[in-house]
Amino acid sequence: MSLLLAKDVVAGYGAAEQILKGASIHVEAGEIVTVIGPNGAGKSTLLKVIAGLVPAREGSILLDDEDVTRFGAVDRTRTGISFVPQERNVFGNLTIAENLEISAYRDGGEASRRIEELYERYPMLAGKRRDLARTLSGGQRQILAMAMGLMTAPKLLLLDEPTAGLSPRAADELFDAIVALNRGGLPILMVEQHAVEALAISARGYVLVSGKESAEGPGPQLAADPEIRRLFLGG
Amino acid sequence: MSILLQALLNGVMNGALIAVPAIGFTAIFAVLRYPNFAIAAYATIGAFAAWWVNVHFGAGILPALLVAFAIAGCIGVGAEETALKQLRGAGALTVAIGSIALNTVLENVVRLFFGNDLRGYDLPLVPDWRFMGLRVGPQQLQSLAFAVVIMAAVFAFLRYTRFGKAMRAVADNSDLARLKGIEPAHVAVMTIFLGAGLAGVGGVLIGLDASIDPLLGFRVLLTVFAAAVLGGLGSIPGAVVGALAIGIAEECALLVAPASYRSAVGFAAILLVLTVRPRGFFGERAN
Repeated sequence: MSLLLAKDVVAGYGAAEQILKGASIHVEAGEIVTVIGPNGAGKSTLLKVIAGLVPAREGSILLDDEDVTRFGAVDRTRTGISFVPQERNVFGNLTIAENLEISAYRDGGEASRRIEELYERYPMLAGKRRDLARTLSGGQRQILAMAMGLMTAPKLLLLDEPTAGLSPRAADELFDAIVALNRGGLPILMVEQHAVEALAISARGYVLVSGKESAEGPGPQLAADPEIRRLFLGG
Repeated sequence: MSILLQALLNGVMNGALIAVPAIGFTAIFAVLRYPNFAIAAYATIGAFAAWWVNVHFGAGILPALLVAFAIAGCIGVGAEETALKQLRGAGALTVAIGSIALNTVLENVVRLFFGNDLRGYDLPLVPDWRFMGLRVGPQQLQSLAFAVVIMAAVFAFLRYTRFGKAMRAVADNSDLARLKGIEPAHVAVMTIFLGAGLAGVGGVLIGLDASIDPLLGFRVLLTVFAAAVLGGLGSIPGAVVGALAIGIAEECALLVAPASYRSAVGFAAILLVLTVRPRGFFGERAN
């Protein structure tokens, strides 16, 4: 039984627009899985469908064998899916402490303990807890966004291009943080533009082309595949 | 000099009263992203609800304010759910126009029940206090105190309560709020209740200063709107600062122009802000 099984998913934004055309992926317990592909392939849309922000017109989403396909975003968080969007992923006008607190809106009793744990894990957040989130740098903001994603103690963390717009050094630090989270047992499904680095830390990867997976394999193996390197990895 | 000080004092007093409905107006805008002009009717309804319990049941001002808040809040939610909610899909402009129509309907419902006569609250007549050449009424000071306490309570609610933080989160980014398990539709209902309730309380405070009639809310609507625009639509501290600025500007305008020109200050403020700083004092830059 897979932790997450997205099967034959068809989805899009407008009435006629179809971005995902029968995509299927799965995530096993403890894995990092990365989805790569060209622009417009539907990578971010796939994450949004799994998170419940975009409805699936066809296909199914199963988490721990529970069919969550018809659940909206609010109820998906309850089932254990936590999605960190690429942009606008923190509440800019709330303080860091408030961002963390509000991220456990449905689980308020545990919020204080989790916040303290996250302050220990990410001391930068503790030092800036009273600052507004909009004052953070790009890398700091991504750390906060990820920490917010952890506030619900999710079964699965979805990351949409977490290193987009970051300096190489900040991106490396973020990859380190992602690996550290995964070593704690948290499965992660991410879409990432720094495909080589992302596949290097992933148990498995998918190549998504025109709304459907075209290749699947162990992360390092996909990163080394000459055809995939030529098409998607700039080498 | 004392004339100017008196104008400033009056401006602060009036501004504080306007700030209460302006907070309601801007809170609704922050969460639902449209200007709800029916706030004028909610102010009138609140003023009449308070008058009813004050005159017919001998309720004091504090319980009358609570009744005004509850009645205006409930009518605000009912009107939103039955009339305006259906228009949201058509865009903010459509809902704004719908809210003007709703305002006229509600105002006439008040007229149907209470007529057009001016009515006053049952309050003891107390002479104004004078000090250092300035004049201030005890009733005005009491209303100012209520306004300050209400504003402090709203700020505390938004800053320290779980639901207040959820309101701010939805106002900031409703999609992200959904991802955090917050249901924006529930927050919207509570925001309408709070916003309409504050308008109702504002209507009472304004009515305490003079008298009430079915046009009470409509007369201050422009000033409330100007205060919210000046402070930055969607910003609650902005609404307070904007209301104080408009209140002082209106009173100072009386020093150089006849009273009939007073309402021009609101229009001038809107024009000036939209030209020089469209996002107001505290509003965010439009994307």
